[in-house]
Order: sequence, then structure tokens, then C-alpha cells
Amino acid sequence: MELSSVISGLPHSIITLERNEYLKVKGSTDTNIYFIENGSLRVFVLDDCEEQIIRFGYAGNIIVSLDSFLTERPSDFYIQAIKKCELKVITKRDFKLFLDTDKSHQSWWISVLEELVLQQMEREVDILTTSPKERYNRVLKRSPRLFQEIPNRYIANYLRMSPETLSRLKKS
Amino acid sequence: MISIKVFKINKPEFCLVKTNGMLTEQFIQGLIEETRKVLNQSEKLNAKDLNYLTWKSDTGSWSILECLEHLNLYGDYYLPEIRKAMQQSTAAPEKNVKPGWLGNYFAKSMLPKKKLNKMKTFKDKDPMNLHASLDKEVITIFIRQQYELIELLNEAKGTNLNRIRIKTSISPLLRLKLGDTFHFVINHIIRHMAQISRIEGEIKGMY
Repeated sequence: MELSSVISGLPHSIITLERNEYLKVKGSTDTNIYFIENGSLRVFVLDDCEEQIIRFGYAGNIIVSLDSFLTERPSDFYIQAIKKCELKVITKRDFKLFLDTDKSHQSWWISVLEELVLQQMEREVDILTTSPKERYNRVLKRSPRLFQEIPNRYIANYLRMSPETLSRLKKS
Repeated sequence: MISIKVFKINKPEFCLVKTNGMLTEQFIQGLIEETRKVLNQSEKLNAKDLNYLTWKSDTGSWSILECLEHLNLYGDYYLPEIRKAMQQSTAAPEKNVKPGWLGNYFAKSMLPKKKLNKMKTFKDKDPMNLHASLDKEVITIFIRQQYELIELLNEAKGTNLNRIRIKTSISPLLRLKLGDTFHFVINHIIRHMAQISRIEGEIKGMY
């Protein structure tokens, strides 16, 4: 099952975010699933006034505050539009109804979650990798699209390096 | 099967009018959500140029930047006061919000009415008394203050909104409950963000 076709078949509303607008801030509970029609977003936390980017989302992806979605409790994440975005909004309730209607929907959802677990493991290794060059190479190999869609200063933050180091690595 | 509803993200649905007995968690989440809308409005303003931001209908009214500077002056006072009071208190959180009559009155009186209700500004909080030229740094500071406010609201979940008291900027003898202070500060911001929307409407009407 293709993610975009699944989403299109579900009841949804549409919202748009201008550049730099926030979908969510720290401390709110957001259990919705958002499918990105176009635009891009970033998920970050604030650590002592320092932003640390956790994840990006671009057209064709879904973006969820997964902790809120699962626990229905407030989450610490900020989600902000990098470019103007159009998002399809699916409520947790409607999504659950969809999953409960057919066994194949559930196994599809498990495969989506499995893919996410694998991505998270890759990301964990990224963060624990000491060499900036190695971190850069890993992410470049895994998601070349990131470098086409996201401004450098955000990629640098995601890779935990200065924008100068990133541009040096890109040249070499 | 597909229903497309367009819901506007900036609709002020949570005016926090009746807060008495409200669950603390719900109260704080409502205020956080209001602050998110304020952040979004200020990010849009950040994309405008200085001419737009300093435009005023007449010499006696405020420009957009002056409205924000006015809010910054309040933030400069209240944010550190709130932080200090929260750090000094050990009172355990309570489940429900109990507004004080004065704090509740202050907070409610801040909300913008349908018709413009002018209010007096204290001299030390009037940006026109600064005699300094304002630039876009004002927005940067305002945005930083909203982050700080979100941070404080999150930390406030572990404190007692009814027992902690905050000295008002009017007089150290006049103190409001922490919950009322948050409510008042945020409604005051909402009031001036509505004023900014009105100014933007006037600018639109000019061209």
C-alpha cells in the first residue's frame, strides 16, 4: 500500500502553514497525523535555548508527534515549517477506525512503524559517530534528498556540526 | 468518503474566559496553544519590511513595532519575576485552577472587545516615550520572549499556580496568583496582537 493513497482515502482536513509558522510547540498534545502535500518541516527540541533538530519532513512524508500520538500526553517537540506547507490532517480516531476495518491495514501500519524503528536506529548511530565527516557521509548516503530540500544551516544542526564544517565537507 | 474541511489555524477559539475550577493541565495547554498562535503571527510579521512595520495611521497611534515593543517591556518585567517566584517555591501542584477575583478581573479586562476599547498605558510601558528608533530586533526579542513563556508554562506544570504570587508591575504590594499572572500576560499579548491585525487591515485599505 502506498502511503499517499492510504491518506487520500481517509477523512481529512487541510491546513496550510506559511514559512516559519509552528504546527506545534513544546508542551502541547497533538495526536494528529499530518501528510505533507508540499513544503518541508523540521522537528526540534530546545535545550537551554539551543535548538536541536531531530527530524525533517518533506513532500510525500507523514509527520507526527509520535510520543503524543501514542500516549495522548503533551510532547516536548516543536514542529515548524521551513517552507510554505500544505498538510492533510488525519485525526487519531479516524486513523484507528481505518486500522480496525481490515487486518491488512494493521500489517501495513506495522511495516510503516518497523521502517521507522530502523530509521531511528540509523539516527542513533549517527549521533554516536564521533567523526563529522563520517556523520555527513552516512546521512548523505541514506538520504540524498535531504541535501536538495533542506537549507544547509538546518542540515548542519541536524548533523551536530557548524555550517562552516558542513560546507567544507560538501566541497571535499 | 473524503470530507475536506478547511480549518483556520489562527481562529481564537480558546479565550480562557471561564477558568474557575478548570484542570490545571488543560489551562496550561490552552495558554501554550494561544502562545503558538502568537508565535505564528509574529513570524509572519518578521517577513515584512521596516516601512510596513513602522507605519501608523496618525502620530498619536502606535505602529506594529511599537505594539511589540510595548509587549517586550512587559515581558522584560514579568518573565524574570515569574521565573524567580517559581524557583523559590516548593508548593506542590494542584489539580484545579482557582483564580483570584482581582487577577481574574485583570485578565478578562485585557481581552479585546468587538469594538475598540482604548485603555491607558503606563508611562514607563509606552514605546512612544522611548524616543529611540525601533528596528526588526524588536521582533527577534519578542519571539525569544514567546519561547521563554512557553518554557515557563511547561515548568509551571510542576508548581502551584494558586499559591505562588507574583508582584505586579503596578506595585510590589499588589500581587497576583501565578495562574492569574500567566492568564493576564497572555491575554494582554492577545489584545495587542489583535491591535496589530487592525493596523494591518488599515495598511491594506490604503493600497
